[in-house]
Amino acid sequence: MNIRKALTLQTVTVNLPGTTKQEVIEALVDLASAGGKVKDRAAALDAVLAREARMTTGLEHGVAIPHGKTDAVDELVAAVGITREPVDFAALDGNPCRIFVMTISSIHRTGPHIQFLSEISRLLKSADVRDRLLAARDNRTLLSLLQG
Amino acid sequence: MHDTHNITSLMTMLVLQLAAILVATRIVGHLAQRYLKQPRVMGEMVAGMIIGPFALGALRLPGLGVPLFPVAEGLIPVSPQLYGFSVVASIVLLFLAGLETDLPTFLKFSGLGGVVGLGGVVVSFVVGALVAVLMLPGVQSVAHPSALFLGVLATATSVGITARILSEQKKMATPEAVTILSAAVLDDVIGIILLAVVVGVVQTEAAGGTLDWAAIGMVALKAFGFWLIATVLGILIAPRLTRGLKAFQSMEVTVGTTFGIALFLAGLSEMVGLAMIIGAYVAGLSLSQTDVAHELQERMSGVYEFLVPIFFAVMGMMVDFRALGPVLVVGAVYAVAVILAKVVGAGVPALLTGFTPRGALRVGAGMLPRGEVSLIIAGIGLSSGAIGADLFGVAVLTMLVSTLVAPPILVRSFQGAPGFRRRTEEKGAGEMTTVGLEFPSAITADFFRRSLVRSFRDEEFFVYRVDHQQTLYHIRKDDIHITLRQDSGRIEVTTSPRHEQYVRLMMVEETLQLKEMLDSLQTMSRPDAMGQSLLGGLLD
Repeated sequence: MNIRKALTLQTVTVNLPGTTKQEVIEALVDLASAGGKVKDRAAALDAVLAREARMTTGLEHGVAIPHGKTDAVDELVAAVGITREPVDFAALDGNPCRIFVMTISSIHRTGPHIQFLSEISRLLKSADVRDRLLAARDNRTLLSLLQG
Repeated sequence: MHDTHNITSLMTMLVLQLAAILVATRIVGHLAQRYLKQPRVMGEMVAGMIIGPFALGALRLPGLGVPLFPVAEGLIPVSPQLYGFSVVASIVLLFLAGLETDLPTFLKFSGLGGVVGLGGVVVSFVVGALVAVLMLPGVQSVAHPSALFLGVLATATSVGITARILSEQKKMATPEAVTILSAAVLDDVIGIILLAVVVGVVQTEAAGGTLDWAAIGMVALKAFGFWLIATVLGILIAPRLTRGLKAFQSMEVTVGTTFGIALFLAGLSEMVGLAMIIGAYVAGLSLSQTDVAHELQERMSGVYEFLVPIFFAVMGMMVDFRALGPVLVVGAVYAVAVILAKVVGAGVPALLTGFTPRGALRVGAGMLPRGEVSLIIAGIGLSSGAIGADLFGVAVLTMLVSTLVAPPILVRSFQGAPGFRRRTEEKGAGEMTTVGLEFPSAITADFFRRSLVRSFRDEEFFVYRVDHQQTLYHIRKDDIHITLRQDSGRIEVTTSPRHEQYVRLMMVEETLQLKEMLDSLQTMSRPDAMGQSLLGGLLD
């Protein structure tokens, strides 16, 4: 349910720019801001980078879930991007990542963010789903794959 | 002069008695837990029986010249001052029980558990009271005080033992366990309201009042009304009160004042003709909604650790073995009848609402153990004269027997197929996954656990600390059921595979909190510099 609400055609892309961690996160924050719900882009970026500095969000199997908490949003804001080339994200399994799921949540409410990420990670557990996301040609296909 | 001497000797006896009780309960309680795998409280109660006025306590002590625990005159065989400790302990027990019951959140998720709890209470009450009517001379009606007390005594469930076993067997998130835990919370509430009604009826009768059902209905209405109004008022007032108390910026003031209010409400409820524990329970229930609830529980645990063994020991001491002889048959029939009544009363609603017969048996068996609430009720019955030493003994032995028979039945019944029909087709139903974390010390694990519990509460989860003697929580919201268990430095969180991701992410958030604390510690000025500056001042 959360995935349906939080993601729109404006906040997913099969063409995420960036070749470094910093660039990818900046691109994701831009993508998330496209939905119009981020009041302060710089604050949002700082929050995500600060969280990343505390512990990497690069998981396994080429998936990363950068996220942060900030006053710059009132409700959960999410974005999903696939990069053309794998990016080194200091992931747990040491492999570079191509699937990026970002959430920015209000400082006061972490629940929706955890709910969203748990739904996404349940989805991304399947190698088949991951392969299909990577093979998606356009944003509409990506969105419909994510929304099941 | 004489009075001074008298009070001094009374107090000397009291401290010697307390000393004996503390040592005996600790040792026997520990032995029971370690070697017999029984709850510590059972050992504490047996310790009371052994050193009490009807066993070793009656022996004249060399040097003292008198028995350590002489049989006191009147309804209660121990001295009033010692009994006072156990009364305060029962208030602490019920205050904490209320504090752990997040009622509104619980009611939102109760459902099936409510039906099972109600079934268990109603059937065991009726059966308990009927045994009294059929077998006790002089008891012609269910409205007789003895019948009412034996009825109420049969209702209370102590779910701590069940929770411990299910958690050891990794069955805490099965539909059966969830139902048992919800039902037991409701059981406490209904049991306490029933007790309020019964005490009301007994007092009306003692004052020469009528016995007809209309009068009993009025008393019941009054008792239920008091409980309801006090609870609703309490839930409305408690958040404002705790907010006001925070102005003192001292947790001691908050804890002291709130426990003071619990004692006040306990006294008030006794004054309006209800039992003291009802006021204590309502006070806890009201405060369970506030943000200081968790802190209160932690801070009260020292008092709990000291007083509660005294309570169980005193209850054990009050068992007069000689009085048991004539009622052994009645007692045996009563014990068997109420055990069956609980299994049937809780099991049949479970069977009707989607459990298999095996699942229903599990639910019924899980509701069997009885604990502090039934003992408190028995104590009130004895002190009010509604039951004599014989029936008090029966009550205590029934509690012992039902608590002893439940674990083997539970362990055996939980082997084999899932017990819930509607979910058996679902893939992976009943399967559980456990996420474990090892911490370098119990202190760090404590920090992590407290922080995790607070986060679940913030996310509007219903968090229920299952038992005070083990760090075990049941946490739920909607269809998410989680068990959190801490064993010194190890923390284990168990849930269904479907919610594993959620739990893992919640735990990640907490490890970040932990990391933040560690980082902040490192920015503190260097400990060795602090040490040196302290040592440097030694010879100045």
